[in-house]
Amino acid sequence: MKFIYKDLLNFLSEKPSIKNLSERLFQLGHEHEINGEVFAMEFTPNRGDCLSLIGLSRDLNVFFGNAQPYKIFQGDIEELNLDFKNLSPEVCPKISFLEIEIEGNTNEYKPYLENYFSLLGNNKVNFFTDISNYISYELGQPTHCFDSSTINNQLIFENKICEKSFKTLLGSDINLSDKNCIFSVNNEIISLAGVMGGMSTACSTSTKKVLIECAYFIPEAIIGKSVKYNLASDAAHKFERGVDIQSQEEVLRRFIEIARDHVSIKNIKIQTFDEGQAQKFNIPIDVIRINKILGIDLEEEKYLTHLSKLGFGIEKEIVVPAFRHDIASQNDLAEEIARVIGYNNIESKPLEITKKLDKSVDDINRLKNYLIKNGFSEVINFPFTANEEKKSISIDNPLDSNRNNLRTSLKNSLLDNLLYNERRQKDSIKFFEISDLYTKSDQINQEKKLGIIITGRQGHNYLDFSKKLDHAYLSNLLNQNSNDSFFTIEEISRTELKTKKKHKIFYTEISIEIIPKHIFKDSESSLDQINFIKYQSVSEFPSSTRDFSFSITDINKYDDVINHLSDLNDKNLKDAFIFDFYENKKLNEIKVGIRLIFQSTLNTLSEEEIQQSVNKLLKPIVDLEGVSIPGL
Amino acid sequence: MSSLDKINPPAISKDIGTLHPINQTKDYLLNLLTQIGFKEVHGPEIESEDFNFDMLNIKKSHPARQMHDTFYLENKSNVLRTHTSPVQIRSMLKSKPPIAFSSAGKVYRKDDDATHLPMFHQVEGIYVDTDVTFSNLKDLIHQILHNLFGKDVEIRFRPSYFPFTEPSAEVDILSENGKWLEILGCGIVNPIVLKNCNIDPEKYSGLAFGLGVERIAMLKYGVNDIREFYKSNLDFLGQFK
Repeated sequence: MKFIYKDLLNFLSEKPSIKNLSERLFQLGHEHEINGEVFAMEFTPNRGDCLSLIGLSRDLNVFFGNAQPYKIFQGDIEELNLDFKNLSPEVCPKISFLEIEIEGNTNEYKPYLENYFSLLGNNKVNFFTDISNYISYELGQPTHCFDSSTINNQLIFENKICEKSFKTLLGSDINLSDKNCIFSVNNEIISLAGVMGGMSTACSTSTKKVLIECAYFIPEAIIGKSVKYNLASDAAHKFERGVDIQSQEEVLRRFIEIARDHVSIKNIKIQTFDEGQAQKFNIPIDVIRINKILGIDLEEEKYLTHLSKLGFGIEKEIVVPAFRHDIASQNDLAEEIARVIGYNNIESKPLEITKKLDKSVDDINRLKNYLIKNGFSEVINFPFTANEEKKSISIDNPLDSNRNNLRTSLKNSLLDNLLYNERRQKDSIKFFEISDLYTKSDQINQEKKLGIIITGRQGHNYLDFSKKLDHAYLSNLLNQNSNDSFFTIEEISRTELKTKKKHKIFYTEISIEIIPKHIFKDSESSLDQINFIKYQSVSEFPSSTRDFSFSITDINKYDDVINHLSDLNDKNLKDAFIFDFYENKKLNEIKVGIRLIFQSTLNTLSEEEIQQSVNKLLKPIVDLEGVSIPGL
Repeated sequence: MSSLDKINPPAISKDIGTLHPINQTKDYLLNLLTQIGFKEVHGPEIESEDFNFDMLNIKKSHPARQMHDTFYLENKSNVLRTHTSPVQIRSMLKSKPPIAFSSAGKVYRKDDDATHLPMFHQVEGIYVDTDVTFSNLKDLIHQILHNLFGKDVEIRFRPSYFPFTEPSAEVDILSENGKWLEILGCGIVNPIVLKNCNIDPEKYSGLAFGLGVERIAMLKYGVNDIREFYKSNLDFLGQFK
């Protein structure tokens, strides 16, 4: 919500600078940004009382004192005698109506009203609606203006199930469903109460006589309606967070005053329907408790002064003001005091948790470490899927129809991960995921499972490069001298995977509980060795691979070649490894095969760029006497 | 000429895999809390509204309970937990103070855009004993943040609102570019919550805090886009060995 700095100053006896005001707002817990002289505020949902000039200034009064800048109409007002029936007083315990008839037109607004539109970027609608909107900004109480001529029979308020369509005053058609708070006349819905009025009774620029409704609706009856019907509603935002149940008549008198400020009033009538006096809410004075909650040593006199400045009544007990729906306990009062003192001004006091625990590494961490040491990377996947089985748990309100069930297996997620990386030219993929899976029978079942998927080469070193990740590899990884068969390995067919890759894919999924611990018992955690490295952006451009085979006929140069190869460095070189090593004892020759993988984060590398890098990297090696690349 | 018998074949470098960076960060935080004295507890990701909301003083009218914020399951019979706090509730119901529990895991909110994911990770802690104060909470938060970001990191506490803590605070650190970054939420456990867990709020008080693991991981590793963590790209994962 936006506030004009100078408007706020009008409500404060001291006149702080923008910077000073900003610091105090942060201290009080009101986040904001400042654009010129406008504060764009973000309030926590419990502070509906701050959604107005008067509300926010009530919080600031504790630092800057209170000023009462606005006038309300003080004269006598005739009783309205409105034909109104409140069928749901439990939802709307208090409602007032004001009828105003005006004469003449207003050509321009007074500065306080004009600034609300020009400085905050609000659109003018018509005279009465403009005042209604301004009052909501000034006093925090939404009001709704009906064109009086359209209310030609008994007006009824009720909270009821209705399945009707309704045209809002903004012209959108909405289909009401379930329970809604509505105003109706002649069985026609004329307003979605607390959210938005209807087109059929809306005021226009020519309206001279209005019926202004000003109510207290309980938040529970309004909450969620504006989202449900996709209506941007300032009124709903305020009612959802709670307005002041005692303010309705003062608000309507303020309405009269603003109208009088601009046009001549021909007639005013008012009526309040109060279904029960608002109860005073008191909390015992207990500064010892407050000090105990906060860990401070505040004197009672100061404590009470702080609360008094925040609008609390100080009698035999502390009287909570009607606009503070969020205060109900000593802890709530402690927070008020902490805000006034400043959270950052409360001293830290050492916390010693006496019961120290040994760091324990659980079996799951050992299992993970075992897999990682064997070259597996852990992935984490979202649990949502379109696949539906009898045992699937369905989501009532999914993000979309492709994510309307919880997965019952890790297989498809891991397969997606594998294919994603194959498309990025990865030729050795070893993934695992450990996750709870949920299914339903007559109850919800939870099972922690390990999923493993493999494809491609066993590794990139020259011993593993030609070996394939296969059934035997996976079986050996998990069997480890065990005679018990606690898992099955599935070969996933590539037929329907829309991929040209040929490597076979193998998958297994095992309940964690049944994995024999001897497999991973020696794999200790490396938690203490975590190194928060700064990550480098991943390239989305394709990589290019070049293989070279060196023939070393001068064995004295062998170490030089290996040293060069282990120290290759180029901005476009992403990876390099020796994938082949062969000693030809007959010819006294050594062959070393190296794979260079090039990739840039900036662009797809051209053949010329790759060749330049290759020449730079390999020249020092091929320049060695007795070392060559046959065929180059 | 030297003999081939004397040469050493190239060293074999075994491909080592990676623990997911989110789990590395989560485990690091849990390890830190264990060192302070917290015991790790576990709970399910599918929760009843009772444990996920009611016991935590999140009223029926609270926006977080709306269908646009929470994933409801099987005709509203359960929810995907929106935070790890229900784990604390389950654990408190089984224990008597003094207690110090940490919990971590996946949580779910109905969000999906460039900066919010429908699933993310939290680490939480709760400590209940006699005479636990807001001053103690500040000390604990300083311990955690000094460990994560160094002794010189500038920290500020702001009043905030969580139904399960009162007073509640959000904690920011000052980043290198001079901007305050929100790091965690914390507060004094609301006496209503203690009472719901059969703990006498007249005798005991507690502190609680929660961190978003992705947020900490992004800051510590310098990852700018939260979605990178869940692409399962080997080029990304391979950097966290």
